[in-house]
Amino acid sequence: MTPDERIAVADAVLARSRADATEVSIETSRLGLTRFTHETVNQNIDQTNTSLRVRAVVDGRVGIAATNAFDASALDAVAARAVEIALLAPRESTPPVLAGNAAADAPAGAFVAATAAAGPEQRASVAGAIFAHATDGLWSSGYAMTANYGLTVATSNGARMSFDGSDAGANVKMNGPDSTGFAESYSRDVNALDGTLLGAQSARIARETRAPLAVDPGDWTVILAPAAAGELLRYLTLNFSAESYSDGSSFIAGKLGTPVLGANVTLRDDYAHPLNPGMPFDFEGFPTQRVTLVAGGLANDLVTDSTWAQRLNRPNSGHALPAPNSDGPQSSYTVLDAGTKSLETLVAETKRGLLITRLWYVRIVDQRTVLLTGMTRDGTFLIENGTLKCGVRNMRFNASIVAALKDCELGDTQRRTGSYHYSLVTPAIKFNHFHFTSVSPY
Amino acid sequence: MDFSHHAARVLDTAAVRGAVYCDVRFERTRSERAEVRNGDVSGLADERSDGYGIRALVDGAWGFAASNGFDDDALDLAAARAVETARAAAAIAVRRIGEAPTDCYVDTFATPVDRDPIDIPLGERVALLLDAEKLLHAAPSITVGRAWIDLWHTEKFFFSSIGSQIAQTIVQSGSGMSALAVGNGDAQMRVWPGDRGLYQSGGWEIVEAAQLRDNAQRIGEEAHALLSAPQCPSGIMDIVLGGSQVSLQIHESCGHAAELDRIMGWEANFSGTSFLSPDQLGTLRYGSPIVNIQIDNTLPLGFATAAYDDEGTKSVVSDIIRGGLLAGFETSRDTARAIGRASNACVRAQSWMHVPMIRMCNLNLLPGDTPFEELFTDVADGVYMEANRSWSIDDRRLNFQFGCQIGWEIRNGKRGRMLKNPTYAGVTPQFWNSCDAIGDAAAWRAWGSPNCGKGEPIQSGRTTQAAAPARFRMVAVGVGYDA
Repeated sequence: MTPDERIAVADAVLARSRADATEVSIETSRLGLTRFTHETVNQNIDQTNTSLRVRAVVDGRVGIAATNAFDASALDAVAARAVEIALLAPRESTPPVLAGNAAADAPAGAFVAATAAAGPEQRASVAGAIFAHATDGLWSSGYAMTANYGLTVATSNGARMSFDGSDAGANVKMNGPDSTGFAESYSRDVNALDGTLLGAQSARIARETRAPLAVDPGDWTVILAPAAAGELLRYLTLNFSAESYSDGSSFIAGKLGTPVLGANVTLRDDYAHPLNPGMPFDFEGFPTQRVTLVAGGLANDLVTDSTWAQRLNRPNSGHALPAPNSDGPQSSYTVLDAGTKSLETLVAETKRGLLITRLWYVRIVDQRTVLLTGMTRDGTFLIENGTLKCGVRNMRFNASIVAALKDCELGDTQRRTGSYHYSLVTPAIKFNHFHFTSVSPY
Repeated sequence: MDFSHHAARVLDTAAVRGAVYCDVRFERTRSERAEVRNGDVSGLADERSDGYGIRALVDGAWGFAASNGFDDDALDLAAARAVETARAAAAIAVRRIGEAPTDCYVDTFATPVDRDPIDIPLGERVALLLDAEKLLHAAPSITVGRAWIDLWHTEKFFFSSIGSQIAQTIVQSGSGMSALAVGNGDAQMRVWPGDRGLYQSGGWEIVEAAQLRDNAQRIGEEAHALLSAPQCPSGIMDIVLGGSQVSLQIHESCGHAAELDRIMGWEANFSGTSFLSPDQLGTLRYGSPIVNIQIDNTLPLGFATAAYDDEGTKSVVSDIIRGGLLAGFETSRDTARAIGRASNACVRAQSWMHVPMIRMCNLNLLPGDTPFEELFTDVADGVYMEANRSWSIDDRRLNFQFGCQIGWEIRNGKRGRMLKNPTYAGVTPQFWNSCDAIGDAAAWRAWGSPNCGKGEPIQSGRTTQAAAPARFRMVAVGVGYDA
C-alpha cells in the first residue's frame, strides 16, 4: 500500500468507528532475507504483510482490535470489535490522549528505491562475495537482508502521519577449527553492503585468534568493539523509560540531574542519526523527539509516550510502542557519543587487556545495579604492551554496566550495530575494570 | 474456511515455474490478550491474522514466500516468489540440502479443550485479573502489580504437491501475574506461576489451573520480604531447583543443544552452534543415569502439541537422552536425512509469515521417583531456588549461569530462611551428571514458554519442557554476587 492508500483505508475505518476517539495504525512490510551456512543458502525468504490496528476510546475505556484483512466486512468488524472491547473495559486512570496532526519529517534518505527493489539475486551476490573469503579451513555463516516498511497513524483528532523506510544489512561469522570471527554492516541502501569487506574482516579475525589461550578470569581492562558494546548498552537504555523510572526499578530512579555515569559519557535517543533507521513519529502518531538521556554523565531525561507523559507531567517524547503495550515507552534508537581516540590508540595505550569483538546472551542479573552477565564470542584478543598478541578462549563476565561506564574511554568512530533486532549506534568502548567469572573450554 | 482452491492454484503455479516440490500452509490466527497493571486495564486486545507461507524446492535449494493476499494475482505472485528465492539460492549453493519428501497424509487434529475461551465473557476475564492484581499489593513496597491472560486459536491447513492435506486446530492458553517490590535501594520481582505464567495447550481450564487469586497475596508478600532477605551465599554446595527452573535448565542446556540445525551450523552466526555432534549418539554421557529426556509432541497439555509439524511430518515420541546417554536430536527432514535418521517432527513456524525451521517443541525430563519433600532430606548445606529471573548460556550451550527470583537455605535436610538473588553456574554435561534425584510424577508439570527466540528473522516459539523439581550436587552458587 502507498501512503495515500493507507490513509484512505484509515479514513474508512475512522468513519466506521462509533468510539469517542479512535486511532488507526496501518503497517506494511516486506522482508527478503538470505541465510547461509557452509557457503550454501539454507534459508531464503520473501515475506509480505499489511496489518491494521484500531484503538478505540469510549468514556475513558480502551479497546484494541487488529486484522490483516481489508475488505469492507473486515473493516466493519475490526472497528466494531475495538468499540465492543472498550465498552467492556474498566475506565482507565489515565485515558490516552490521541495525537493530532503535526509535522514530522522523515530523516534524509529514509527510503531508498534500490533497496525496495532488491531481490534474491542481489542478496545472493552479497553472500557470494562473502563465500570467497571462506578459505584455509574457514566456513561462513550469516545473512543478507533487505526490507521496506511503511506506517500510517490516523486519529479522530486529525493526525494523518505516514512514513516509509527501507533497510538493508548483512553479517557473517567465519568459523575455523578453534576460532571464529565476525563482521556486520547495515545501511538504508542495499548498494552500501560490501560482502567482500565483510568476508575479509571476519576471516581476518578468525585467523588471528586461532589456537586461543585460556586466560584467568578476574578483573580485566577490556576494549569492546561496537558489536560488543551495543549488546551491553541495550540493557542500559531500558532504564530511561518513564515507566521504569516511575516504578523504581531503574538505576536512575530519583537521580535525574545527578551524576550517574562518567563525565565523558553522553547518551542520546536519536531516530534521525544518519546511521539509525529511525521513524519520525511513534506508534501513537506523536512526533518523536531527539532526547539526550545522559549529558556528560548526568542523568538528563526520559523517554515517554502519551500515557507516561501525563502520569509524570512531562513532555511526550514520542516513544510509544504498538498497543497494547504494558512495558511503557522505550528508547529504540540509542546513540552513544564518540570520544577522541581511535581503536588503534585505545589498544596501543593498553598494557594488558582484552579486545572483544562480540558478546552473546547478555542478561540482567541485578536490576538496580544493572549487573549483567554474558559471554564473549567470535574473536577475543589478548592485548599485551599495546599490541594484539593472540586469541583467547571465550569467557563469562559478571559486571555492572553502570559501574563500568564510570571509568571508560570512548573510541572516535561510531558504528551501527544490533542487526534487525534493534538498532544502536556506538563507538568502541574501553572499560578499565570489567569482571570475568569463568572461562569456556573453547 | 476451505483453502483447497487457493492451495491448488499455488501448487500449480509453483510447478509451472519449476518447483520439483511445493507445500503451502494457510493459517488463521486469533490472539487475545488482557493485562492489568496497578488497577488499570493496560491492554485489552483481539488480533486476527490470516495468511500463508509457501515452500518451494528447486535444484536442491529451498525458497519461501509468505503473503496475506488471497486473490489470484497475490497467490500467483507469492508462488512465483517462492520459486524465485529457491532458484537464487540454488545458483550459489555448493551443496544440495533439500530433497522432496515422500510421506503423505490426509488427516485432521484438534486440541482437546474443556472450556472454550470464547465462552468466557471478557468481563469475567478482566474481573479475574483485577482481583488477582489487587491482592498482589500486599505491602506498600509493591510499586507494580500485573496480571495477564493470553489466548490463541490457530487453524492450520497444510497442502503439499505430493498430496498431503492436513487440517489442525490448535488452542493454547496462558496466564500469570507479577509483583515488583522496591525499597532499601533494591528491586525484587516475583512471578506466578513459574517464571512467566502457566502456558499450555487447552482452553480456559489452563487459566483456572494457574490459581491466580489463590496465590496473589503470597506472591506480593514474598516480593516484599525479598527486599530484606539475606543475600544467597556463594560457594560450592548442593541445590534443589523448583520445577519451572528445571524446565528452563532443560530448555537452555539440553533442548537447544540437541537441535540438529545448530549442530550442523545453520544457526552459527546468531543462536550459535552446539557442543554435540552426531558421532556422540549413544556414547556421550550427558547426565547421570536417572536423566531421561524425550520429545513428545503428543503430550496432553504440551504447549507445542500437534499431530503434525509445519513440514507435514507426523508427531512421534523420541529419545534425546536415555539413561543419561545422548540418544537423539530434534530434527527436520533435511537434517535427519543427513545423519541417516527420520525426522521427529520438530519443525515449526511462528506464524503463516515465518519460514518453518527446527524448533524445540515438547521436550521433557521424565519424572523420577523422589517425593518433593525428600529432595531435601540428605542435603546438609544447600539452597532451594525457584522461578527464573536471569538466564545466560554460551553459544555452544556449555557455560551457563542462571539466577532465580527466590531461594531458601537448606540446613540438615530442612528448608530454612528465605534468600534473595540466588544464582548458580556450571557446564552442561558436568551439571547434568551431578543430578542425583528427580521429583516424582506428583510434582511433574508441563511448563510452557510462549517466547523462545531463534532464527533470522527471529521467530518466537511456543514450547514445553515438562519437569519436576530436581537435586544437583556440588554446584557453584552465588556467582555474580561474589565479586
